[in-house]
Amino acid sequence: MFNGHYLNNNNKMVLDKVAEVIVDTAHCKIEDVTPEAKLVALGVDSLKAITVLFELEEAFDIEIPNEIIPSIVTVSDIIEKISKTPH
Amino acid sequence: MLNRRVMVTGLGAVSGSGLNVSSFWAALKAGRSAIKPFDLPIDNIKISLAATVPDFDPNKHFSSDELTILDRYSQLAVIAAQEAVDDAGLVCGEEILTGAAAIIGSGCGGKHTDEATYDRLYKQQRTRVHPLTIPKGMPSAAASMVSLHLGIKGPAFALASACASGSHAIIQGMSMIHSGMIDVALVGASDAPFTYGLLKSWDALRVLSNDTCRPFCKDRSGLVLGEGAGMLVLESEEHAKARGARIYAELAGCGMTSDAGHITRPDVEGISNAIKNALHHAEIDLNEVNYINAHGTATRANDVAETEAINRVFGDYANKLAVSSTKSMHGHALGASSALELVATTLAIHHGVIPPTANFTEADELCNLDYVPNSAREQEVNVAMSNSFAFGGLNAVIALKKYS
Repeated sequence: MFNGHYLNNNNKMVLDKVAEVIVDTAHCKIEDVTPEAKLVALGVDSLKAITVLFELEEAFDIEIPNEIIPSIVTVSDIIEKISKTPH
Repeated sequence: MLNRRVMVTGLGAVSGSGLNVSSFWAALKAGRSAIKPFDLPIDNIKISLAATVPDFDPNKHFSSDELTILDRYSQLAVIAAQEAVDDAGLVCGEEILTGAAAIIGSGCGGKHTDEATYDRLYKQQRTRVHPLTIPKGMPSAAASMVSLHLGIKGPAFALASACASGSHAIIQGMSMIHSGMIDVALVGASDAPFTYGLLKSWDALRVLSNDTCRPFCKDRSGLVLGEGAGMLVLESEEHAKARGARIYAELAGCGMTSDAGHITRPDVEGISNAIKNALHHAEIDLNEVNYINAHGTATRANDVAETEAINRVFGDYANKLAVSSTKSMHGHALGASSALELVATTLAIHHGVIPPTANFTEADELCNLDYVPNSAREQEVNVAMSNSFAFGGLNAVIALKKYS
């Protein structure tokens, strides 16, 4: 299981996991999942977004608070939020 | 007030005999029971028999995205609903379906989803659950998914009355057409009750047979659970005729009562009144009825009470009726049973074949009717009835006529 220290220091691994979850959920192309990509453009609607967050909570054993969800627009927003999320 | 005649123009069935009406009807006609040794990987239960849907791979019917939101009972509902709509010659996206209703009953709803969630939380001690747990497991999930898959945008909702859920849903659709509210309704029920908690709960009631389902027999030992979905397309007479639809039969009337008595013991008076009300509503004389598809669970209590009620309503004519329980073949699929039984009753009229009571040995001394033992009977059926009596004393009887 990843931990917070790991998250902060290995964003490449985090990006890989985030990309994997987004591709599994939205069936988009892996090469389209760049840090700048908007989730909506990848096919991640609001229902799929909470599914992505659920999978990431499970993968990293973290709790993502509801309050930050409206500010998640791009892939990098997810990486940034979960990297700062206490666990 | 309008008082329009209501026709059955499409049928769908998922049952222990297979994934379509043809496998369902072929089994009923042959008197072939779908009850088999229980073989799902669920430990620590006493149940030894079941009528599970055979060779069903959800991945062959739905995408992985669709399966994230489809409980097993919704999957069965959508497959049967699609068949009924195809059978009626209706097409998703066209105006007829867009304006239709979808009234889908269920005895137990999304139990697979609910129980997997509870297992995760209580047994595995996990702390979070999948975000789609609510929309996937809610009691109206099947109604929503049928509406979504078929593009039905009229009234859509779920209906629950335990083992009579399908009959009550069908009656609701019939009433809406009758009154002029809508022209077309997709109605029926779906149930997928093979989960650990539900099976333990049925075990606790001590009504499950470890022999087989032998309705009305001296040596009957209880019911055998099944799963499946029965769906019907209902249409007003003028709508069906205007588009040249094939009419299987007319839904001529219904009777509904509640016992307001014991929670599980059937009440002869409540059942009798439901049958009488259906005859009255359909304007059918006693001696016009050819066939009754019985509730016939094979429990000690039901079969005697149902027989007594039929004798009480029909008097001397009761001996001239054919009465069979197709639960002996498709098992007791809870709410879905009553819908599957109406599909069977409709086909009895359409084909002139009365399905038998399978697994029949010797009649109980208190069960004195013609139960059509073991072999189907070729016989013209002009008027037929389908009985459904639910736990909680909720009774629903539907009368069908050959359309003329």
